[in-house]
Amino acid sequence: MVNADNSIVVEGLVREFKKGPRAVDGIDLRVEPGEIYGFLGPNGAGKSTTVLMLTTLLPPTDGTAKVAGYDVVHEGPQVRSMIGAALQEAALDNLLTGRDHLRLQTMLQGLPRKERKARGEELLIRVGLTEAADRKVGGYSGGMKRRLDLALALVHRPRVLFLDEPTTGLDPQSRTALWDEVARLAREDGVTVFLTTQYLEEADVLADRVGIIDHGRIVAEGTPAALKAEIGRPSVHAIPERETDRARIASLLAQFGDPLGDGDLAVRLHGGYGLADVVRGVDAEGLALHDVELRAPSLDDVFLAKTGRTLEGAAEAEESAPQPAG
Amino acid sequence: MSLRLWPVASGVAWRTLHNVFTTPSLLMPSVLFPLFFFTAFAGGLSQVGEVPGFDYEGDYTSFQFVFVLLQSAAFGGVFTGFGIARDFEGGFGKRLLLASPNRLGIVLGYAIAALVRWSFTATLLTIIALVARMDVGGGPVDIVGLYALALLVNVSGLLWSAGIAFRFRSIQAGPLMQMPVFLTLFFAPVYVPVDLLSGWIETVAAVNPVTYVLEAGRSLIAGDPAGIALAFAVALAMIAAFAVWGVRGLRRAEAAG
Repeated sequence: MVNADNSIVVEGLVREFKKGPRAVDGIDLRVEPGEIYGFLGPNGAGKSTTVLMLTTLLPPTDGTAKVAGYDVVHEGPQVRSMIGAALQEAALDNLLTGRDHLRLQTMLQGLPRKERKARGEELLIRVGLTEAADRKVGGYSGGMKRRLDLALALVHRPRVLFLDEPTTGLDPQSRTALWDEVARLAREDGVTVFLTTQYLEEADVLADRVGIIDHGRIVAEGTPAALKAEIGRPSVHAIPERETDRARIASLLAQFGDPLGDGDLAVRLHGGYGLADVVRGVDAEGLALHDVELRAPSLDDVFLAKTGRTLEGAAEAEESAPQPAG
Repeated sequence: MSLRLWPVASGVAWRTLHNVFTTPSLLMPSVLFPLFFFTAFAGGLSQVGEVPGFDYEGDYTSFQFVFVLLQSAAFGGVFTGFGIARDFEGGFGKRLLLASPNRLGIVLGYAIAALVRWSFTATLLTIIALVARMDVGGGPVDIVGLYALALLVNVSGLLWSAGIAFRFRSIQAGPLMQMPVFLTLFFAPVYVPVDLLSGWIETVAAVNPVTYVLEAGRSLIAGDPAGIALAFAVALAMIAAFAVWGVRGLRRAEAAG
């Protein structure tokens, strides 16, 4: 049966582990065809568990999910033929070379024999692994394994691509290259991309829309711009010229906005105030600043507003306790 | 569920065989153990064939050859089961589950790999047995029957160990795959015909399905076929039972995520 739908539709999805918490607790989401959807949250929030369910690797406890128009529980084979996935751990066989992996993947995905070699070569070039193609992957760096994993996920030209924390552990250059490739896939090939990340910048740069998940529930969803606009007000961050003025400056700043805490001299500005108002106030009090900065709202501010924690702080807290998959 | 069964099976089989035949540490045990047993049993115990009441048409070398052939077939399946467990322990199994539209193809692929792997061992074993001047009394049809029985034992061994591997997804389950097969084989009439057994071993051998396959195999190579239909029925029944066991194990692995 032909189905041209590239979307992901999830309703009330739940995954409960035995003697454990609800890793995913009734999430609803919809990803449109050709969209890059960033799924943002700290470790243990439920990101990877959601991906495992959407890729048919883990049955949901409750709820429904359709990927490319097919039900993940009842139409698993059809779903798997439509999707590509690069999971958090690039599961590669150290006894095989990069080229061997591509050969295997083209066989598993049923590519015609005459197309297999050409498709493998095309993908090796695209991910920059041509020179290393005949080396066993046991000797690959983390970045090379990630790139090979991405190539394997693309072998059969999937309509929907799942990337589970694809840039974790990558150097900045590899990270940027992978972002470019993901953006190209969505823009030029119309691939729907479901991307989990704990990097704010990654979600901000890549995603058309972002879903923020915490403790198995989606706490915010929208375009990065819309989410930040929802927070609305920018923040002012100041560094005093003299440490002895810190208390007076903090008191002054509090007149212009709500303190952000974390020990910094920073406030989220009340409506109607701008950076100039703060600077004038400081001058009027005869205080001096070493530096002052106006910051636009970030996705971390969104996370803070929705959960009461910063994403970084939440990640540290989650890491200190044993958790089910991501 | 007929979606892409063969592409998945051929991919899994290719990769398994590629690794086995390019990694001596994976290949050698399944080749050396049967050769060792054959040399030890057929050579060192050859005088057992002179025991009064040892009623067998062929020579002792062919008597032991059939046992070692079936043993190599069973363990060819078990060694492939070790590979399945390693794949799932290391995460590669998840890649196979993800990349395989039809997951039954994974089981079929491992089964094909086990069969090819055993064929290599069986060829070597046969050549060595013929060099050692094994007496082959059976005709071509008998010999085809013998190897067909061994093939069914190979598939049984694979399906049994695959069921364990899928359930435990760890190489630590290796002894669970190996020990029951080892015990079942050695509780059959290994050294003498079943008629010469007595006491508890006779009772155990009488209810051991391998006994029927072994005795039929020996009758085939000796050119004096007996109990062939029963032996094939037993072997096919084992495959049917272990196929259910293996596929249910795969479902457990799928549910575990």
